Amino acid sequence: MKYFPTLSELTDEQISTVARNAGEPEWLIERRVAAWRSFAASEPPFWRRTDLSKFKPEEVAAPTSAQGTAVQWDVQLAKQGVIFMPLSAAVREHEALVKQYLGTAIDWQAHKFNALHAALWQDGVFLYVPKGVSVDVPLLTVFTLSNSNRASFSHNLVVLEPNASVTFIEEYTSPDIDGQAFSSPATELVLGNGSSLRYVTAQHWGKGVYMIGSQLAKVGDNASLDWAALNLGGTVQHIEAETYLGGTGSKVDWTAATFAGSGQLLLTAPWLRHVGAHTEGHMEFKTVINGNGYTVFDGMIKIEKDSRATISRLEEHAIHLSDQGRSDSIPGLMIDTNDVQRAGHASTSGQVDDEMLFYMQSRGIGREEAIHMIVTGFFETVLDRVPDQELRDRISEVIEQKI
Amino acid sequence: MNSDLVIKDLHVSIEDKEILKGLNLTVKAGTIHAIMGPNGSGKSTLAYTLMGHPNYTVTGGEVWYQGQNILELEADERSKLGLFLAFQYPVSIPGVTVANFLRSAINAHRAEEGKDPKTTSIPVAEFRKQLREKMAALEIDESFVRRYLNEGFSGGEKKRVEILQMAMLQPKMAVLDETDSGLDIDALRIVSQGVNTLYKQQPEMGVLVITHYQRLLNHIQPHVVSVMFDGRIVHSGGPELALELEEKGYDWIKTEVASRQ
Repeated sequence: MKYFPTLSELTDEQISTVARNAGEPEWLIERRVAAWRSFAASEPPFWRRTDLSKFKPEEVAAPTSAQGTAVQWDVQLAKQGVIFMPLSAAVREHEALVKQYLGTAIDWQAHKFNALHAALWQDGVFLYVPKGVSVDVPLLTVFTLSNSNRASFSHNLVVLEPNASVTFIEEYTSPDIDGQAFSSPATELVLGNGSSLRYVTAQHWGKGVYMIGSQLAKVGDNASLDWAALNLGGTVQHIEAETYLGGTGSKVDWTAATFAGSGQLLLTAPWLRHVGAHTEGHMEFKTVINGNGYTVFDGMIKIEKDSRATISRLEEHAIHLSDQGRSDSIPGLMIDTNDVQRAGHASTSGQVDDEMLFYMQSRGIGREEAIHMIVTGFFETVLDRVPDQELRDRISEVIEQKI
Repeated sequence: MNSDLVIKDLHVSIEDKEILKGLNLTVKAGTIHAIMGPNGSGKSTLAYTLMGHPNYTVTGGEVWYQGQNILELEADERSKLGLFLAFQYPVSIPGVTVANFLRSAINAHRAEEGKDPKTTSIPVAEFRKQLREKMAALEIDESFVRRYLNEGFSGGEKKRVEILQMAMLQPKMAVLDETDSGLDIDALRIVSQGVNTLYKQQPEMGVLVITHYQRLLNHIQPHVVSVMFDGRIVHSGGPELALELEEKGYDWIKTEVASRQ
């Protein structure tokens, strides 16, 4: 497999040549080149908490072709008109559809790294569920990195037509990397009116991976999104995520489990925007910090001017297993309307609850095991929402190792 | 080894306030021993201290059980010696199911140093059978095995599950802390039956029943009744003492204690 030299040496000619050789349409090549120019010309974003000072882009080679997106596929689904294939192939085979939706959710100009992603994405899947079609089996895609493949730019585009329903799972995993690797994933979710999506995003990268990702969901009238995020691996994670409740009566039930151990910074910046009338959002974010791990919750609920009768609730809970860890929580609530039905926020942070520990110990369970059970139990409510037993087992194992 | 629970001159404080002020008490193996007393006399402090709650500071005295001063042991070690506390306010453990919790507790009891836990743990079929039987006896719906421990349980459900835990762990010395509080008559009967059944199965078990009211003692009949007041045991007698307290209230105890000083 051939690579571009490295991220720091790339040029726009190289980008357009590779895209042309891959048979990409002109509009996409133009987008890539424009994005690359924007990346090259812009300053790094000012991120107060995400520390990229040790990240060396000159060490990371950019991929020149899709590196094999793993897709679990059921032939029966094709008969119903469901499309589930690598996005790079969908660009050729379903060009009109891809063009209609690609880049409509995520703003590639938001910052330098989004522009980089828009210029270089190669991997990722396109999932399209036609009107009224309900897919019963979860559809899973897995992304990996290795020592010989140190950068991944994956783009998942999920489109549900009205009244469609599906479960989409994306998993990011790798062994520990010697040195550094870079992951720049983006996921765009477009939920048509009355559709329903269960979305699971799980990252358990190995050490050395720097992940800067974007996830954005646009939710139509009476559509509902169930979103479970598992943030466990890597050296640095910076994920900007947004649910845009644009449709009347649109809903999201959004939950996340984050576990940072020593040497990790895991940041999530989830935005919940209430735009349509009668929208409902529930966020429950759970965090565990061990060793000198560091987590950041930089969240925002925004209730826009024209939304009416909004229901919105944010809960954050953090458990510290050591004295050296750190967790920053910066929740925000902006309300630009007078017509809110309910909006609330609750948060807790502290060590493993003494009363729980005593109760368990009084039954003969040793302190260490009790802590183990309390922490796994803490994440159980998020894991309950992962409808894939094998993935759940893999995640449980990662959690076990981190306690 | 001595299977009596022997408490000698026990002094206990919470946040520098002394609650137990030189308490002496022996709960003999094979007896049901009730402790009654007015609110604030230190009954729950005694229960928590016996089990080893970290917020209760022992400033003096000893508690002997099975040849050891158990005040030096962690709560889990006390449990493995055979001590059990049915909590007045059981704690909920989100994400941990009743079945999982009980299996972990039983396996902790069966674990032996230097042996692979796989060889000592309870076989799944046997565990399920025991659990099903004991839940049926306590009239606990089967769906509870998959529920998170005490999460969203009513007061009565929590108390039944406390007794279920006792029945599964089969302790040699059980302390029931205000197990009757918050129970309606039916639940009180079921819970008491659970205690009596276990006592019948293992008549060498000691039971310390801590209660404010006499009504629990109609169902679990004590051999000995002690009265606690202001951090000490001030009076002991047979089962008739409970009836006397019910009839006369606690004021006469206060008067009696005052006249002694």
